[in-house]
Amino acid sequence: MTSQHRILATPDVRVEGRTKVTGAALFAADFPHLGVLEVAYFRSPIAHASIRAVDASAALRMPGVHTILTGTDVAGHRIGRRLQDWPVLADDRVRMIGDRIAAVAADTLEQARAAAARIDFDYEELNPVFDIDEALESDAPILHPLSETYRFLGGERPNRAHGNIQGERSITHGAVDSGFAAAFRVFDHTFEMPKSLAGPLEPRTSMAWIEDERIRVISTNKSPFRLRDEMAVSLDLDPEEIVIINGYIGGDFGAKGLSIDEHVLALMTRAAGRPVRLVSSWADDASTSNCRHGGRIRLRTAVDADGQFLAHEAWVTLDGGAYAAAKPNADLLPAKASTTLGGYRVPAARVHARSVYTNTVPGGNARSPGQPQTSFAAESHVDMIARDMGIDPLELRQRNVLRDGDIDVTGHRWEHSMLPVVLEKLRAELAHRPAAAGLGRGIALTTRGSASGSATVRIRITADATIEILTGVPDQGAGAYTMLQRVVAEALDIDVESVFVHGGSTDDAPYDRGVGGSRVTPIVGGAALVGARRVKARLEELSPGMTTDDQIALAASQGGFEFDAEFNHPSGAHTSGAIAVDLAVDRQTGAITLSDIVLIADIGGVVNPVAVQGQLLGGIANGIGTALMEELVVEQGNVTNPNMSDYKMPTVCDVPDVHLIIVSDDPGAGPFGAKSVGELSNSPVAPAVANAVEHLTGVRVLSLPITAEKVLNGISGSSREVGVVGSGA
Amino acid sequence: MLVSGGIAFTLMARVGLIDPKHVIALRSIPEIHSIHETADGIWIGAHATHRAVSESQIVQTLHPVISAAFGAIGTIRIRAQGTIGGNLAYADPAQDPPPALTVSSATVHIVGPSGRRRDVPIERFFLDYYTADIEPDEIIIGLSVPAPTQPTVSTYRRFNPRTVDDFPTVSVAAAARLQPGTGTVEDIKIALGGVGPTPLRARSVEEAFVGIVPTFDAIETVSALVADDIAPFDDARGSASFKHAIAVVWVGRALRDLTAIQSS
Repeated sequence: MTSQHRILATPDVRVEGRTKVTGAALFAADFPHLGVLEVAYFRSPIAHASIRAVDASAALRMPGVHTILTGTDVAGHRIGRRLQDWPVLADDRVRMIGDRIAAVAADTLEQARAAAARIDFDYEELNPVFDIDEALESDAPILHPLSETYRFLGGERPNRAHGNIQGERSITHGAVDSGFAAAFRVFDHTFEMPKSLAGPLEPRTSMAWIEDERIRVISTNKSPFRLRDEMAVSLDLDPEEIVIINGYIGGDFGAKGLSIDEHVLALMTRAAGRPVRLVSSWADDASTSNCRHGGRIRLRTAVDADGQFLAHEAWVTLDGGAYAAAKPNADLLPAKASTTLGGYRVPAARVHARSVYTNTVPGGNARSPGQPQTSFAAESHVDMIARDMGIDPLELRQRNVLRDGDIDVTGHRWEHSMLPVVLEKLRAELAHRPAAAGLGRGIALTTRGSASGSATVRIRITADATIEILTGVPDQGAGAYTMLQRVVAEALDIDVESVFVHGGSTDDAPYDRGVGGSRVTPIVGGAALVGARRVKARLEELSPGMTTDDQIALAASQGGFEFDAEFNHPSGAHTSGAIAVDLAVDRQTGAITLSDIVLIADIGGVVNPVAVQGQLLGGIANGIGTALMEELVVEQGNVTNPNMSDYKMPTVCDVPDVHLIIVSDDPGAGPFGAKSVGELSNSPVAPAVANAVEHLTGVRVLSLPITAEKVLNGISGSSREVGVVGSGA
Repeated sequence: MLVSGGIAFTLMARVGLIDPKHVIALRSIPEIHSIHETADGIWIGAHATHRAVSESQIVQTLHPVISAAFGAIGTIRIRAQGTIGGNLAYADPAQDPPPALTVSSATVHIVGPSGRRRDVPIERFFLDYYTADIEPDEIIIGLSVPAPTQPTVSTYRRFNPRTVDDFPTVSVAAAARLQPGTGTVEDIKIALGGVGPTPLRARSVEEAFVGIVPTFDAIETVSALVADDIAPFDDARGSASFKHAIAVVWVGRALRDLTAIQSS
């Protein structure tokens, strides 16, 4: 950032900050609505069964009850961001504990719950599948035998090798077999990771009612337009018959792209003739909506005598749970599920990734989807190769890091790579910071594609001489509206107080894909910049030579003007990062104490210094959770820790000193050189921790989380490697 | 249902373990708030918050181990809201206060609807997981803790490797009287949390430790005996065998705290 950026250099005041800290902000659960009915579900107590009958007659006679919907009432309507495989309410079978069988609308939540408890459920138990290996056996029970009848949005669903495969992705490039044949050494390691949570504080919440014959929805979904379009397909409606209202969202971390309640509420409000509302609980969200995929990753890499990677094979099997509905990608896999050696030159690779149905909580998107899993495997694998060959782990990374013109593991050729730069900066920084006595140090490399695609905002000069931005993107807590305000104020060189940002509904804002893939700053911010520059050009035409403030005042006195500004962000940009973690291990208990973290972050231009720091530090805190503690425990299909007492996430007290070094030398195509930031720093933390633990203790933990118990087992046991129970591809 | 700070109440209500028709807050009974010095020790009103107990001058002076244990509970928000009475009635074996109150020989004072008063030594108060010697129509009015009659050293250690606000996987409180000069252990009480259905005394360790002049090796030997005193089970915080291993280490460290003997 250069000094001429007056606005960008100034620390921000969040546009919504005062509203939020004074409690005035209305989140989805706060919206008052006269006559709203509260909705509660009757849920499956068993993991896999075919439904014989659902009898709601006794429940319907309970006090306060207005309407009850069962699967029979909503048959054929299914939910899904790509594959619509999740019934709005279970019709022919239930596929997980907590699957929704009936919905009750009553005057109060207590009445709705009491009635739901009185619903009779007659079923025939089916063999459940809780394990990815069992699910892929030739005689495994098939969870979705009628999947050929499911809707698949935007194209044809590809064929799969087994009925329990949700989606597959195969990548082959280069001469893999000859690469392995020429190898000096071949390394073969298998890693495991549990299901874990995105874990936003605010549970899913939605309300629906009918006004002017259109269904109105208030939702915590972070992509209102995509929710509208998906609901329209699910419910056989025209998108124009649905309006999604854009409000505050209390955290996301990837989970809020999936909606599972809005569909049944839309049908319920029609049936009941009243507004209806459903406020989920943290426990229900944790055990019955979507989580980060657990799974197993096997990596096999051929190296020459210098440790240069010659060829690579990988088998990624992710536990997709009972439904694939939460995944937006066409191959029904998290985006980074196949980036099994990201950041390195891989001349030849064969990668097979798949997601598998089991009778457990569905897998979905959580911060940098797929990458915490593949990054843990890859960056552990690289360190294990280095130590086995007696090469310094940083040196081995520098020998293999992607340089301009190199091919990466996915077969993509890199035009200009910042990865060598971040490793060089890490080396320089660590040279100044030798690890203190008794500490172990581990490093990891990371990279992500910066977001691409287009966005449109509406920009307007109002009659009272302010600039208004109307956007369809919600602010899920990351500061989108503050960012837009700063971009426009900077571009026009006016005070931020003169710029107002409004989140519009799907009825009044230009179409927007919503929050996801760290796209908002580079792409929506880019649209705001395009708009601001066009405003400036128009003002210069109308009143050349005047100050911007005077030009705006003059334009306002003439009634103002507005137009839609579109920005098309090119693809192919990357962000890069390198991390070092210093930690101590208590050799008598296995407990890990983090001491210091260094992060080198190549993120281009900085629109908002405070928010950038928040994203990078928040990502590290998130990564510490993945590394040390986060595991959604599922026993026989039952989530046993769906609460913040037992499912622990780091608090501010659990994050050590972090030294952030921001690299802005490689500007992105976003406003003022901005690139994506939000998903860069979380993934490399866990492998860096694992690498530091091995450096210090000789114990290699192959599964997440890296608990004290696993480390202690490694220290006191006979095996140097701990943490993986299964084997094979 | 009678409710004090409401922390345990909220946890249990949210998971459906309790669903009371009526909830009566005890907050407005002024007699059960105070912490003060008595003729033979300390009175801690049942409604005293964790923070009030932790920060009490008299508690810090007479029983620093109690102050330490209450200061370790959860987060500052929990400590500002939760109360000692509610915490004890909850009878969760992983809570911080019971081991410290055990080694300090506290007595729980209970009143029933007819005014009938019962005094229950803390060690007899906890009966099983989430079960204490208190009836639904009784309330805890407070605790009395005798002042040590002779100089005592004490310590509280908790093992919570995930987050600072987590419940301890294993906790240990210990209080000892050492002979001036020789350092011979004249008396010791050790209690553990998280390793059984109730807070447990480490009696095997205590018996082996009394009468000896502690050394590093002696501490290694006696702390291993805690395995006979505990009955941990597998849960989200670790396997039973892991908790066994941690208990041995943690008792050893507690004994070293008391005797100021550091690892060699």
